[in-house]
Amino acid sequence: MSTKQFFLDRYGRLGWNYREIRLKQSIRINQLNAGKNLPERLRGLGVELEKIPFLAAGHWVNKTKVSVGATAEYLLGMYSVQEAAAQIPASLFTALGGKMVLDACAAPGGKTVQLADLMGNSGAITALDISKQRLNAMANHLERCHVSNAVVYNVDARQAGMLNRKFDRILLDVPCSGNFAGDRDWFYRRTIDDIERNADVQKAILKEATGCLLEGGEIVYSTCSLEPEEDELNMDWAVKNLGLKIQKVDCVGADGLTEVFGRKLDASMAFCRRIWPGETQGFFVCKLKKGGEQ
Amino acid sequence: MRALEVFALLFGAKIAFNPEFTVEKSQRFYLLSPRLKKLQGNFYYAGLYLGKVKNGVFFPSFNLLNMLLPVAVNKVVVDRKAAWLFICGRDIFGSGIVKVMGSKRKGDATLVINEFSECLGFGRVTSDLGGDLERVAVKNVLDVGDFLRREK
Repeated sequence: MSTKQFFLDRYGRLGWNYREIRLKQSIRINQLNAGKNLPERLRGLGVELEKIPFLAAGHWVNKTKVSVGATAEYLLGMYSVQEAAAQIPASLFTALGGKMVLDACAAPGGKTVQLADLMGNSGAITALDISKQRLNAMANHLERCHVSNAVVYNVDARQAGMLNRKFDRILLDVPCSGNFAGDRDWFYRRTIDDIERNADVQKAILKEATGCLLEGGEIVYSTCSLEPEEDELNMDWAVKNLGLKIQKVDCVGADGLTEVFGRKLDASMAFCRRIWPGETQGFFVCKLKKGGEQ
Repeated sequence: MRALEVFALLFGAKIAFNPEFTVEKSQRFYLLSPRLKKLQGNFYYAGLYLGKVKNGVFFPSFNLLNMLLPVAVNKVVVDRKAAWLFICGRDIFGSGIVKVMGSKRKGDATLVINEFSECLGFGRVTSDLGGDLERVAVKNVLDVGDFLRREK
């Protein structure tokens, strides 16, 4: 059996039938930097936008005569080019203003900029990334979008505790195996071993982050992987081993899986959101809380 | 902090940075909020990046140019075509300038502003402004298109 067929069979068993997809380009308007007339300005350049119904500041780029990543408006930080599903995680936190926030796997900074925008540049974002090279791109991104409330470290998320900080909110957009929607060669480059290795790293990050989270604090965990080992199985592990509780979220996507390949998971996995590829890439997101009610 | 203030003076702007909240790391300057100031540590980037000194020369950030915008004396407002060419790294011809504020003297630094009063970068006056429309009037020193060029 080919690797591709192996994965397609798995998706079938999880309830989704593979089909070719075409991703739509999307942008996110940075509310702090953009004036109200930004869509009009972009229309003047030949960029046709359509509001994405499930996002507060997201727009599909339906048609464009220019590269949306090279307009003056982009360079002035009025918007970011950000995949639609990738705009979801930061939007799921409750009351971000003035909070201590950790973005544990932050580079190249798209979600850090989004967090800063949602926080109105208040409070403090601690942003970590293991790759110094990627931090360079992140620094450019933060400068372009005039972010002023972030402090960035070249630190592995698995060592976040060394900063001796406690956080109200933690974003774990963890390194993952990705999915075929944004990578034509995905099926030829990935094996189940990669996925299991990534799942182990993700668990280590989850454990470290939970230790840095204040009682009553929130974690949003996300991946762009369709593989349950990196998604529901990790969340099930977190609920059973880290004392985290999954929260219901108002978000696009299907319920998370409560049974994976014959293995029953905690019923709260249904509160996770699983977004199969379509207009957006494949995505998984889950909001967890330390202590308190579900 | 001196480098920042000297740079601001090039545009006729007097600006003071609170040394308590302005930090220098690896010859890069950052403006921190009181909350970030407490956190700091061995950071890679923090708060509002203001610029860097390299080989004795100060290179401003776009954050700093934006801070100068309301207080700078020397500014030129350019039309849409000149604004686009400037972002692409080109110099500004006299014909693309809509309005000149402050110094028109050759060699002086000036902020370059678009029709929406947004700062696109800065340049140096190459020949007295208000003269020949068909000649380069402002030489491009730094423009926001640099964000794209940095990534290459």
